[in-house]
Amino acid sequence: MTGLAMTRRRLLTALLLAPPALAACSSPRSAQAEAPDPLVALATAARADAAHAAAVIAATPNLAGRVAPLRDARTAHAAALEAEVAQQASTTARATAQAEPAAVPSTAPATLAALRAAVAAAGDAAGKVAMTADARRVGLVASVAACCSAYAGALG
Amino acid sequence: MTSGISTIDGQTTQALQTALGAEHAAVWCYTLAVAFLVEPQLSQARRDADVHRELRGRIEQTLSEIGQRPVSAQPAYATPRPVTDAASAAALAVVAETDCLTAWRAVLEQTTDKSLRQAGLQALTDATLRCAGWRTVVGVTPAIPPFPGRP
Repeated sequence: MTGLAMTRRRLLTALLLAPPALAACSSPRSAQAEAPDPLVALATAARADAAHAAAVIAATPNLAGRVAPLRDARTAHAAALEAEVAQQASTTARATAQAEPAAVPSTAPATLAALRAAVAAAGDAAGKVAMTADARRVGLVASVAACCSAYAGALG
Repeated sequence: MTSGISTIDGQTTQALQTALGAEHAAVWCYTLAVAFLVEPQLSQARRDADVHRELRGRIEQTLSEIGQRPVSAQPAYATPRPVTDAASAAALAVVAETDCLTAWRAVLEQTTDKSLRQAGLQALTDATLRCAGWRTVVGVTPAIPPFPGRP
């Protein structure tokens, strides 16, 4: 049975495998039993990106039309991810490790290029988490990843 | 509940069949849309249709290889609104891509198989960009949906 499962997996690998650009995301794994909820880092990144986007708009108001939707999307991502973290914490005994949504002050320059790089990295990070996330969470995490990657493409 | 299953089980197969159905519908929608679109959207629609054809071929092949019979395309699909001009044709493309987003997100939710999740995420990401392009044509904001595929 295990052999059959492996065969099927190999088939899928052969037939449906993502192109090389994205395949690079699949290498490392970070889910250990004692590790903090990986969605905390994704939520922190979303808050940072929202602040970063706001700084870009403040520095270059002409970019508001392109960047404000990203700011709003990342704000929405942060809220949704934080809600999921809280939900998980309330159903497990890991609440203590989660309670530090410290808004890291961004030191990245308030430029479109820096913002684009940040959101591309956020998309990659969410994509990695999506590979191992629970069934209940993977949809949210994958949506965040796809949204970030799309912005990285659109702003490029 | 379902965690720990890393084979292509019945739920995953069903989600793949649903994704295949969405890809069939998307191909049909673009075939209709190109009759009404003008450049540059016309060329974009043809490129997008090709992507959907390729993706659907890959799903069909994958389903066949695991002993499942891929669902067939319908001869025609009911459009939510009549398609009579370029604007309504672009709106149909938005519908088609949005349906694909939903289907691909569901594939991700119905499998723990890493390679299939990887493929599903790629499909979700690519469809998000295509959807954004058509949402821009139609004038839907934000162009990029914040939670692509969320029902």
